[in-house]
Amino acid sequence: MSLAVVEQRCEPADAPPPPRAGAAELVRVEGISKSFPGVRALNDVSLTIRPGEVHALTGENGSGKSTLSRIIAGMMKPDEGRIFVDGRECTIDSPAAALGMGIVMISQELTLAPTLTVAENIFLGRLPRTRLGLVDWSRLEEDAALALARLDVHVSPHARVGDLSVEFRQEVEIARALSANARLLILDEATSSLSEAATARLLERVRQERDAGMAILMITHRMPEIYAVSSVATVLRDGNLVATVALPEATESQLVRLMVGREINDFYGKRSIPVGDRVLRIRDLHTPAGILRPTSLEVRRGEIVGIAGLVGSGKSEFGLALGGAIPGAGEVEVDGRPVRLGDPRSAIAAGIGFVPDDRKSSALLLVRSVLENFSLAWMDRLCRAGLLDTRRERSQVEAAVKKYHVAAASPAVAIATLSGGNQQKVILGRTFARQPSVLVLSEPTRGIDVGAKSEIYRMLQDAAEAGAGVVVISSELPELLGICDRIAVFFEGGLAAEFNRDEATEEAIAHVAVAGTGSRAHADDRYEELE
Amino acid sequence: MTERSRPAAPIFQQILQNRYAGALFSLLLVSAIVAATQPVFLTWPNLMNIVKSNSVVFVLAIGATFVVIAGAIDLAVASATAACAMVLGLLLVAGMPAYVAIPAALLFGGFLGAINGTLISYFKISFFVVTLGSLSMFQSFALIVNDGGSISVFSSPGFAPISAFVNGNIGAVPIILVFDLALLLIAGGVLRYTAFGRALYAIGANTEAARLNGIDVKRIMLLVFVIAGLMAGLGSVVQVGRLTSASAEIDPTLLLTVLAAVLIGGTAYTGGEGGVFGTMIGVLFLGVIQNGLTLSGVSSFWQGMVSGLILILAVWLGGLRQVLRRRRQARIG
Repeated sequence: MSLAVVEQRCEPADAPPPPRAGAAELVRVEGISKSFPGVRALNDVSLTIRPGEVHALTGENGSGKSTLSRIIAGMMKPDEGRIFVDGRECTIDSPAAALGMGIVMISQELTLAPTLTVAENIFLGRLPRTRLGLVDWSRLEEDAALALARLDVHVSPHARVGDLSVEFRQEVEIARALSANARLLILDEATSSLSEAATARLLERVRQERDAGMAILMITHRMPEIYAVSSVATVLRDGNLVATVALPEATESQLVRLMVGREINDFYGKRSIPVGDRVLRIRDLHTPAGILRPTSLEVRRGEIVGIAGLVGSGKSEFGLALGGAIPGAGEVEVDGRPVRLGDPRSAIAAGIGFVPDDRKSSALLLVRSVLENFSLAWMDRLCRAGLLDTRRERSQVEAAVKKYHVAAASPAVAIATLSGGNQQKVILGRTFARQPSVLVLSEPTRGIDVGAKSEIYRMLQDAAEAGAGVVVISSELPELLGICDRIAVFFEGGLAAEFNRDEATEEAIAHVAVAGTGSRAHADDRYEELE
Repeated sequence: MTERSRPAAPIFQQILQNRYAGALFSLLLVSAIVAATQPVFLTWPNLMNIVKSNSVVFVLAIGATFVVIAGAIDLAVASATAACAMVLGLLLVAGMPAYVAIPAALLFGGFLGAINGTLISYFKISFFVVTLGSLSMFQSFALIVNDGGSISVFSSPGFAPISAFVNGNIGAVPIILVFDLALLLIAGGVLRYTAFGRALYAIGANTEAARLNGIDVKRIMLLVFVIAGLMAGLGSVVQVGRLTSASAEIDPTLLLTVLAAVLIGGTAYTGGEGGVFGTMIGVLFLGVIQNGLTLSGVSSFWQGMVSGLILILAVWLGGLRQVLRRRRQARIG
């Protein structure tokens, strides 16, 4: 095996192996630098992407990986550096130019038109025409059905994208990219809003495309995904290229150390917390209009209960109904006192702290400051007779920023300037600071980096230790296994099985999530029903 | 996280990035141009004339700022003013004293706003549809009550105090100027130092996040339209005071001018950002341009052309400012 010499900017104790020199290159960037006023986002970064290879680009949030991918996809121009496609130097000054060279990016921000159908979205900008120049609807439908079938996505081409869940929307986006004859596919945190099953399907697809000769640049900080498909990984930190290493020769702990520049010892930091009295009692909770069937569950103080399940299993509706975000029926009691369902104010008054899964659309005031995003949840405590005590507000927010390690220049900066991890710490912090008896968290670590994740697991356990009953709804099984005392698995709209910490395994949970007590065929039927 | 030193952004960028600086700069620039070409512009009587002739717009624009911050738009504001003016006129002609007629006009405005707010909040109809409908209905109401005729209130006994309030001076200072400034301070204080003000920004920025954090979105939206209605009532008092009559015909430029002032003042039409200080600058800006055109002898027919153009330009520049700010603050990663 010949060893390529790679720039090494840090000196780990045992250096991970450099990558193999491979086949011809497809895209090569050299000496890319990019600055935003006051910040150097990328500093002299070079990278080679080859056909038939999945190149993982990884690093913590703020490391510059999205900036680099946006430059390659033509969404941003570099200040310095050169880009070569097929060995020829070229400028990629727009996403359309990138598409012309076969470069397609799927980003964490979905870019679909919600009012159009699935088929229209897949072929947006290149709808098939009849000889008269009108849209050829029957061909559009056939092509779309084909593209969806190739991806094994069970969505009707007629469905309005706005009616689909986040996960199905992402799959439509992937179908769009793949049907555009891409040679280089850039996946920017594409799995961050997908469930385990959907992620597995996507990775399988990536494997197929790779074997068919496509080049894939995968931006992610999920270790299992990196190791599942990639043969080379480039790690960025603070805009600098730390190392490019061969996989799977470089180990996971080596990679994590390159990313964070330090060791993360016990990632989940699971503590044993004594369990107290019952704090949450749910009897036959269901959604009148929606997916959730009558479900009962009890949670005790100090207990962390995980909720696992596929998309459409009812797990997210379960959280939304508990938080009062959607109408619900049944009985919910906190400390023996009934909660009026379908009303967030009543849920808050009863002591339920709810954190929704979609940060941008239902948790953050993106155009407002960190300060206002914190105090949003504390208004009743900061006001007397409707008047706001701004001095108290400021001091409490400053204390919270410190307590929850939010990296922000000042509480006055817009929350939109913070990284996903820090935004999530603000959302959790404002909820935790009310000391709710029950915490209901939906996908609390979605799309955030390793370091912030570890801190959030610590925050959850602090809350449990302080006597809260914690319910964590998550699509990431490893995190549920890592922090939960008990895991409830949802299937087809209701609770299918419960596992205690000592008996829970990834396989057992995944089996229930996919098949319930029945067969895989059931799960497929369910997808059809969703259409 | 490593701390990086941040060099200060170039001065022109900072100006572009401040919410109010852009509008304030434009106001000063336009004022300088008008002052250079029309010497009479910078005289005290002329400046006070600008204040007086724009105080109806100012009062309405304060209410409209609240609505726009909450992420909605009240298209019925000019019609509601006309409807309130007719109620005020009828009461004055009927011999009611000012201390009855003024509160009645305000209450009527509040009532009209409550109709809008209730339909929007509790019947879940889009603010656009509701206020478009009520724009037409309130206008019609103003025509119906006196069969399309204006009501002259000049000789009504209740008119004297209204005229004194709208047209009177304390020394060289118009009372209405003092009143406008007081209104500005109160409105600014409400936005900044009350739970209601915070709720407006939160709802405008992200309604679902506001709702999930315990803000009673329906009640706040009802309230904000009631406030807009109250301001229409107040605006009608100022209007009747200036015209000495209640006109059933709506000033066709009023709605545009009010909304333009709010948007030029830096309040985002998407909600969640802005304030009344900017709105004041927006009102003055449009007022100075109007005054400048009049002083230069340009036909008043051109004024709509100019204010429309400036509105588009201001919102475009506002968008540019946001792009710059986002670029500067863009998270790297």
